Amino acid sequence: MKKTQLKQVAVNNNQIKYTLANGGIFVKLSLVFMGISNIKYGQLIKGLGFLFWELAFIYYMISPGASSLHNLITLGTTQQSMVKDDTGMFVVMQGDNSMRLLLGGVATLLIIVIFVFVWVSSIKSGLIVTNLHKNNKRIPTIIDDIESLFDKNIHKFLLFVPIVGLIALTILPLVYMILMAFTNYDANHQPPGKLFDWVGLDNFRKLLTSTDTLGKTFWPVLEWTIIWAIIATLSCYFGGILLAVLISSKKIRFKKMWRTIFVLSMAIPGFIGLLLLRQMLTSNGIVNILLQNMGFISGPLPFWTDATWAKVSILIANFWIGIPVTMLLTSGILVNIPADLYESARIDGATPVKIFLKITFPYIFFITTPTLITSFIGNINNFNVIYFLTAGAPLNLHYFQGAGSTDILITWLYKLTMQNGAFCYASTIGIVVFLISATFSLITFRRSGAFKNEEGFQL
Amino acid sequence: MRIIGIKKEYLLPILIFGFLPFILLLFPFININESSEHLLGFQFLNKIMQEISDKGLSMSYLIIVAIMLIIPSIILVASIISFLRPGKKILYFMIGMYSLEVFGFVVSLLSFKATVDAAKFFEVGFLVKYLSMGYWLPFLLVPIGLILTMKSVKVSPGYIVLTVMAAIWLFPTTWLIISSLRSEGGYYIGYLIPKKFTFNNYIDIWTDTSHWQFARWFRNTTIVAVCNMIISTLLVLATSYVMSRIRFKARGKLMSFFLIVGMFPGFMSMIAVYYILKVFGLNNSLAALVIIYSSGAGLGYYVAKGFFDTISKTLDEAAYIDGATKWQVFIKIIMPLSKPIIVFTILGAFMAPWGDFMMPRIILGTNIDNYTVSVGLYSMLVKEEINGAWKMFCAGAVCIAIPISVIFLYLQKFYVDGLSGSVKG
Repeated sequence: MKKTQLKQVAVNNNQIKYTLANGGIFVKLSLVFMGISNIKYGQLIKGLGFLFWELAFIYYMISPGASSLHNLITLGTTQQSMVKDDTGMFVVMQGDNSMRLLLGGVATLLIIVIFVFVWVSSIKSGLIVTNLHKNNKRIPTIIDDIESLFDKNIHKFLLFVPIVGLIALTILPLVYMILMAFTNYDANHQPPGKLFDWVGLDNFRKLLTSTDTLGKTFWPVLEWTIIWAIIATLSCYFGGILLAVLISSKKIRFKKMWRTIFVLSMAIPGFIGLLLLRQMLTSNGIVNILLQNMGFISGPLPFWTDATWAKVSILIANFWIGIPVTMLLTSGILVNIPADLYESARIDGATPVKIFLKITFPYIFFITTPTLITSFIGNINNFNVIYFLTAGAPLNLHYFQGAGSTDILITWLYKLTMQNGAFCYASTIGIVVFLISATFSLITFRRSGAFKNEEGFQL
Repeated sequence: MRIIGIKKEYLLPILIFGFLPFILLLFPFININESSEHLLGFQFLNKIMQEISDKGLSMSYLIIVAIMLIIPSIILVASIISFLRPGKKILYFMIGMYSLEVFGFVVSLLSFKATVDAAKFFEVGFLVKYLSMGYWLPFLLVPIGLILTMKSVKVSPGYIVLTVMAAIWLFPTTWLIISSLRSEGGYYIGYLIPKKFTFNNYIDIWTDTSHWQFARWFRNTTIVAVCNMIISTLLVLATSYVMSRIRFKARGKLMSFFLIVGMFPGFMSMIAVYYILKVFGLNNSLAALVIIYSSGAGLGYYVAKGFFDTISKTLDEAAYIDGATKWQVFIKIIMPLSKPIIVFTILGAFMAPWGDFMMPRIILGTNIDNYTVSVGLYSMLVKEEINGAWKMFCAGAVCIAIPISVIFLYLQKFYVDGLSGSVKG
């Protein structure tokens, strides 16, 4: 019974426009004084809540909000400087901190967005309660509202914390960093000493045209990023499939043991495994020592110190991590390939190679295409492998200061922020990386039926 | 006569391969000096024999004699027997012998330089390139003999590939464990097998706080991991349940939104996060780490959602008819049916801080007291410290790797679901 009583009248945008135009004075007032309809029709606490929100917002906008919006546009006007004080001594005069101002501005923007959201929902809430009153239905009390958070509106309750966390610590920083791509916040414009300012698309221009050292770094780094991602993805993909097929072939026993041996390299924390591989291949590392002890070489091999060697070493060291991943993934798929396919192929006299090429591989490929693309994107963003193995070394003198021959975009981004303090370029690269990843993701998700046909798949 | 389980056509080649090592003793084995003056196989063997009678038997001499003479003889005898009276047992025995021979060749490569240099056969230091056909041909032929024997009794040669790969894959971890048990030297030592084993590195890393605060890092990481485990699990389960079961207006948009946000490179925003936390005075603290890990937890809802999707909706509907609220359905119906995915989420959230490096590195800055295990261990490997810290690093890494690996192996299945992008529903 209660449920039907509480069933609220659905409100869509046309209705809102209509009611606002023709509604009573309170409806119109609620545009300015949020929650006033709620208060009038008995939802005192809810209405006061809306009103409190509005007052708090206005208070915020008067005290720091408006000025922070203004500062977002100027990014500060007074630079920190030395001035003579009364006694004739030079003292530091604090200037504006562009970084703080930008952050504050973005926060204010977000608060405004949130306020608009609350404002719209307060209007809707007011309309609903007005309609209920008109139709002589029971007005939900605050207790009803709280109860609905556990039932009809449970998504608002359960998603509240995750979304607040997301806004505060992912969206806000992300918007902040994206905006930074349009400023000149580099080593020469470091707050608090110096101001930085909006420069429009200058950073993109510098990065993409090859006259600047930035451009001369960006294109080779992008090229290596793509080469690395393609080779790393494909080699580990095919290597893993072959390994999985080998282990799951009928003649091999102790399957679980073999699998565990390889999976072990995924199981130990990534940074430990990568640091081990790095230390193994240094000039004093165990591999060089053993090779010298065996008499294969008379001096250490430059695994990490020569650009070409380092690139090949990274690709090979990546096998150790990457092949087991595909192996583990495809093992499960192999079990699901219908046995009668193999049976009939064998009766027709197909060789094992032919069976693999015509049955096993197409089957696996069909299922794992999304994974293949996901792991390609993962490799474009594979900070850990590059950072722990070489950290971009060896340094390349033709590159922007600090960047090395094995740097991929994402490690260069890191260096630009942590070493060069060139946040603007780092953000620009971040956007480029996002565009690349997003393009590939879109292709994947467009193609995978699972995403499109979501409802159909459920039991 | 036909014997079940043996392919007779392989027996003759096996016999021929049995003789080959002895013929190859007549080939040049090793170059004595740069002008390619060489010793034949049997001459070299003769020299080794002389050395043995002069100086007594040592391990490295024994290996050379074994791979050149003893094991080939046994294989020859066995191949003659198997040719005359084919039987599975003798062929299995030969597989064993061949494997031993391959292994012997690999070990001989490791010990050759030491042996030859010690015996002072020639003036210049030994390099592998001085070895000649008499060594390399048997090296190549032995695996072929092994494959033939395996094929004759229908044992898959795939074992050879697997064994070699397994050896390569286990090498780094083996090296880690061996180094952690080594008593002498630092990082810069010129050999693999320790001269003396000890457990002291393990005791030192936990108790010796003069240089490295491993116990403290461990405590810090445990705190972060446990807090993250509790908060993240709640958030992930809540988000997944809503995305799987509740149909609300903004759902589609929200899911696309999560997807897009997840595509930005993670630490593009890290620096900004650092400054935001600084505003609240939380930078350099463990609480900051917990907050960051948990705040992103909602984005990782895919696996759990995929699991919830597989739970039949008719259960929910039956409960609704009986008057249950959605909250009750979530707590009393979905949760009890989802124990595996809850375990996965809990353990996954617990594991994450142990392996993560970048976030603590940026957030904790120079605050050594709050270092987590990954940042701490990494700091032990800088150039100035590595020689002294290497063995302790290995011990510490083993202490972390074992529990994490066990959890991972336990969670394998779910990991696969996660990898395959489990957007099942």
